[in-house]
Amino acid sequence: MLLQSGFDVALGLGLLWVAWQALNSSDLFKAIVFFIAFGLLMALAWVRMDAPDIALAEAAIGAGVTGALLLGALARLRASNAGETTMGQAGNGQRRFMASRRLLWIPLLLMAAGLGYAVLSLPGYTPGLSAQVAANLGASGVSNPVTAVLLNFRGYDTLLELVVLLLALLGMWSMAGPAPPPSAEAAAVLDGLSRFLTPLVLLVAAYLLWVGTRAPGGAFQAGSLLGAAGVLLILAGWRANVASTALSLRLVLTAGPGVFVAVAAFSLLMSGQMLKYPPAYAGILILIIEIAATLSIGLTLAGLFLGGRPRGERKSP
Amino acid sequence: MQQLYLALAMFLLLNLGAGLWRVLRGPTAADRMLAAQLFGTTAVAVLLLLAQAFGEAALRDVALVFALLAPVTAVAFVRRLWPEQGNSRDTD
Repeated sequence: MLLQSGFDVALGLGLLWVAWQALNSSDLFKAIVFFIAFGLLMALAWVRMDAPDIALAEAAIGAGVTGALLLGALARLRASNAGETTMGQAGNGQRRFMASRRLLWIPLLLMAAGLGYAVLSLPGYTPGLSAQVAANLGASGVSNPVTAVLLNFRGYDTLLELVVLLLALLGMWSMAGPAPPPSAEAAAVLDGLSRFLTPLVLLVAAYLLWVGTRAPGGAFQAGSLLGAAGVLLILAGWRANVASTALSLRLVLTAGPGVFVAVAAFSLLMSGQMLKYPPAYAGILILIIEIAATLSIGLTLAGLFLGGRPRGERKSP
Repeated sequence: MQQLYLALAMFLLLNLGAGLWRVLRGPTAADRMLAAQLFGTTAVAVLLLLAQAFGEAALRDVALVFALLAPVTAVAFVRRLWPEQGNSRDTD
């Protein structure tokens, strides 16, 4: 008991310290490394809070995509800063930023007070909706309560989350081209690693997708693993021939939200209520949605790492 | 037995603290990155210990995912940031 509390206290204090370092560090690279460490500790914290589903998602997204995404963004930031020499403007902007930073304390304090009030006014203990979820689990088509909530009881939340992911990618596509591929060829070690690791990651992604119906796992975790495999392949220098895959790329990107909307429309016609699956078909419908969502999430995350709309091989100067 | 697993997990967590000191001090980017890599390994060990201590099989999946994806960040660091750290800033 003492050991458990000691572990939890050390973990909580460590989380706070690492978060502060990540926010406070003036060296962006250092901040990124602290953020990676924060993700690791956060996954452990989710485990201690009895939420292995979220720990799994944190592990897959944090270790596979976020770190690489931030490092790639930093590399691009440095490259664009090296090209520009607008010191005077930057200095001006810096000064204005410092001045407005002092005023930022006011809204931040107000928000902290509001949040504190909201937390303190919460009832001390509520049973929540877990009893209702447990009572209706039999009709949901799956035996993992988290998957039942995400894809059946609160399906429209998940549908909108998929749309948000797609919107993020579209927003980035409209702003920038892809990051330039690394100048050097992948060394033999990296080449071998990507060939060895990618099939394993795909296998584990399929496992997590399948096991999600009865144990922690599911579309977001599996999709993040697919995204990580994509990140690894992109880093190893692999590029799809964009000219011939443009249509299939878009089809897979929209498959998740598309299939979800199709199921929603189908259930609206059949039962008069959106996303109210007939219990006999709930299991298979959830699996179909999850497979499509996994592919879309994986490709979207890999596309985010690519850093912009993929272009034809020799189109741009 | 559970106490032993928890004590070992606690010890590994304190080891993470030692690694964090290396991230804070540096001095080079590679030192920081390697410390983060060490965290990944430590987290895998902590998760396996917790899985054993509380009998939760799902935690082994979390450890598996961490172990599988640990190289991705390191590869991103080497491929995207490593040449920029030195003197040669060749932007084409």
